[in-house]
Amino acid sequence: MTAKKTDKKDKKDKRIGLFVCHCGVNIAGVVDVEKVAETMKDYPGVSFSANYVYMCSDPGQQMIIDTIKEKHLDGIIVAACSPTLHEKTFQEAARLAGLNPYQIEIANIREQDSWVHTDKAKATKKAVKIVKSHVAKALQNESLEPVKVDVNRRALIIGGGVSGLQAALDIADHGYEVILVEKNPSIGGKMIQLSETFPTLDCSQCILTPKMVEVSRHPRIKLLTYHEVDSVSGFVGNFKVKIRKKPRYVDETLCNLCGECEKVCPQVVSDEFNMGLAFRKAIYMPFPQAIPGTYTLDAEHCLGLTPVRCGKCKDVCDKKAIDYDMKETIIEEEVGAVVVATGYDLYTMQAIGEYGGEKYEDVINGLEFERILSASGPTGGVIRRPSDGQVPKSIVFVQCTGSRDTEKHNPYCSKICCMYTAKHAMMYRHRVPDGQATVFYIDVRTGGKAFDEFYQRTIEEDRVLYIRGKVSKIFKEGDKLIVWGVDTLTGKKVEVEADMVVLAMAMVKADGVMDLLKKLKIATDIHGFLAEAHPKLRPVESLNAGFYLAGCAHGPKDIPEAVAQASAAAAKVGDLFAQKELSHDPTIVPVNDELCSGCGICISMCPYSARSLDLERGVAVVNEILCEGCGACAAACPCGAAQQRNQTDSQIYSMLTAMLGE
Amino acid sequence: MKLHYYPGCTLKEKTTALDLSTREAMKRLDIELVEPADWTCCGAEYPLTEEKIVGLAAPIRVLRQVHQEGGDVVVTTCSFCYAVLKRANKAMQDDPLKHKRINAYLRDDIKIDPLTKERTTGFEDYNGEVKVLHLLEYLRDAVGYPKVKSRLKRDLKGLSIAPYYGCRLLRPHEEMGVDEPDEPRIFEEFLGAIGCTAVDYPFKQECCGSYLSVSLPAAATEASYRILRSARMNGARAVAVTCPLCFYNMDHRQDAIKEAFLDFPGLPVLFFSQVLAWALGVDKEVLGLAEHTVPVDDLFIENRAAEERT
Repeated sequence: MTAKKTDKKDKKDKRIGLFVCHCGVNIAGVVDVEKVAETMKDYPGVSFSANYVYMCSDPGQQMIIDTIKEKHLDGIIVAACSPTLHEKTFQEAARLAGLNPYQIEIANIREQDSWVHTDKAKATKKAVKIVKSHVAKALQNESLEPVKVDVNRRALIIGGGVSGLQAALDIADHGYEVILVEKNPSIGGKMIQLSETFPTLDCSQCILTPKMVEVSRHPRIKLLTYHEVDSVSGFVGNFKVKIRKKPRYVDETLCNLCGECEKVCPQVVSDEFNMGLAFRKAIYMPFPQAIPGTYTLDAEHCLGLTPVRCGKCKDVCDKKAIDYDMKETIIEEEVGAVVVATGYDLYTMQAIGEYGGEKYEDVINGLEFERILSASGPTGGVIRRPSDGQVPKSIVFVQCTGSRDTEKHNPYCSKICCMYTAKHAMMYRHRVPDGQATVFYIDVRTGGKAFDEFYQRTIEEDRVLYIRGKVSKIFKEGDKLIVWGVDTLTGKKVEVEADMVVLAMAMVKADGVMDLLKKLKIATDIHGFLAEAHPKLRPVESLNAGFYLAGCAHGPKDIPEAVAQASAAAAKVGDLFAQKELSHDPTIVPVNDELCSGCGICISMCPYSARSLDLERGVAVVNEILCEGCGACAAACPCGAAQQRNQTDSQIYSMLTAMLGE
Repeated sequence: MKLHYYPGCTLKEKTTALDLSTREAMKRLDIELVEPADWTCCGAEYPLTEEKIVGLAAPIRVLRQVHQEGGDVVVTTCSFCYAVLKRANKAMQDDPLKHKRINAYLRDDIKIDPLTKERTTGFEDYNGEVKVLHLLEYLRDAVGYPKVKSRLKRDLKGLSIAPYYGCRLLRPHEEMGVDEPDEPRIFEEFLGAIGCTAVDYPFKQECCGSYLSVSLPAAATEASYRILRSARMNGARAVAVTCPLCFYNMDHRQDAIKEAFLDFPGLPVLFFSQVLAWALGVDKEVLGLAEHTVPVDDLFIENRAAEERT
């Protein structure tokens, strides 16, 4: 487990090679690379100095490999771009030449020099200084070996929506064990609430329920519904997870879904599955195909979980499945990877007061309209408005509600609203052929397979009226809703009377999981969506090693995209699990026992809980696997006992001296 | 106590009802309104372009005068004056460049003693020290509704009034900050405090047509009609306003409205201060009711509760 230090040479004997990269004109356009190489030729410690047009190219790398062998170099410096780009490339080249990869230094003369300066003479001078500082560092670099660690080949999936289900199935099918945690009584997420799906109009429940059943029957998937992840500690390959089992008050193995409890329950509450458009009892099953198939007692609305207060459900349960004494328990699991698929919320009506969503029952959001369209919904699929159950003869659909508004709301595009609004309008016209559907839009974005054809059909065959412009205000006059907007193609103000208004509300971060994400220390973007490690090249991985992203927790996306991302995340988990053991970067901060006074300052500084106090010896100790080499402890240590490998105080001091002159 | 009060020119010349009823009402709350000496027109419109700062000279000169007379607060009732004074004052606090330029200009202002005709110049800088409040704001924040309630002399129970905010009272929100721009409550709370029923209706912040009254009268007629109709449909006996221009468009223009929209039977328009003064026991004769085009006499009856019952 410990990093080995080998071939420690006296720095005076070290032979350093310097390779200066032109990066085409990226560097050579501003820095005189030849002069840099020439100047450094006779610098103490430098045994070889050259320049080349693209060091990262095959011939460039070959040049490094050959030179290391020919000149018997003990360390090299590549003066090129940022180490985040090609440090690994050159480390690999060094390894091929038989040199320890930690003897490689990258002197960044592009991002920190040529790209930010224009004066060639000064930029060249700066490049020389940067290179000199790295020579000073390279002379003291030690050869290091990566820290090796085992992988626990089990995955945790947080969230049982379509993304979580897909990731779970894929990973389980790779042959690994999966724990799927869902906080609601059933899996299915938001997708199970939808009616038909664009652009093929296949029924959402019909295509999702087979997946749900598969997950529940899969021998390698442990399904934990009505559970919440409490904490995740540890590190990639070796996470410890605490999962809170919420009391369901119904034993799911005994419940036979006879439904007698529901009949006698006196507590009627708003039904979340139907977006508050219908009612359920305090003991309920969210929807007929719920998995697991069991009733759940909602303690918040129950009269009191005691036979003294009510107890009716317990009395009628033949199977004795109801147990008021169930308590919350904590389960502990060990996993090697975590897929975060925690989903999204819709922007709230109160955020856009001028649209009257809070005041008027017939101003609803897209998900509510999905329930109205759904055959299993509160109206059995007949389009009726919530206020009086009338069939609306005119519906106005408002796209971009709360999206693409840099001034007051969310600046981003919620991506799916153009398509689902077209679908809503089309389905409304199918079911109410004499009804008028009007859509207000900013732009219609139909980038997706068969999407634009679908949208064209909405306009041409189903004759939905599209008005390009935003809505300013919605209010009620008599029993009509009046929608004020602008038609930006004619420049005229428009007023449309409607029986019902459907707002395509922006997709936003799921508020309920923000605390969890904070506990996971997983990075989010400015909108609260999960941040990917690289926006183009690592789109399904988190910056935090061992965490993978799937679905709308990462940003607005439609079903095919969410499923694709989930499968990609599962493949990445497969990559991780396929490795025999994991390597951990050895540039960590060990403790020098002789210097350590046991003050404990480093322990309080460590953001990764990698350091602790050995009470017997009175010194700090470090868990090399947990240490990420951030250096916070090294900066804080008052006695110099915490020295980061290849970034010691002595090295930093030498670098400064080399850069600023003696 | 004495309180600085900026009536503005319209209240002096055109809508004296708003001015008189305000003074009378405030007397009943033990407040004497004092005008700053030598005040001028505020300019009526806040300069719409960044570089056009000469329009700030007039309002700042007024505010500086209030400050020199030792006033911390100045109240206004006209929405236009309120908007101009408040925004100009905020510019002096937040915009160093405007502060510098306006003060450089006003430093050489000339003051003429009314008695001796002696001319003086050389003024100190004004830094936005005075707080500009609308009377509604002053009643809410400084006087407080409990005190107003304790002084009520007449019972207005059952009198349904539609508060009309117009455009100037609330926006731009960052500068005015008197209340939420989309869901304001201040006018409703005021009407509730003096015993009326505030009518909720969707047109309370819609434009009355404003200056289009001059250039495109038909547009102002229609805009005002929609406001009045909506208030009526929601059960209002009258619309209450804070702005002389809104009053002009909705009251003085009502004959034209009735002519253009035959379904509209008419609706009285009041200044909020008239209702306040009436509730506080001020005589009908000093409320300026004769200025109204639409008769409002029916609303000001002594034994309201008895009348409503019959």
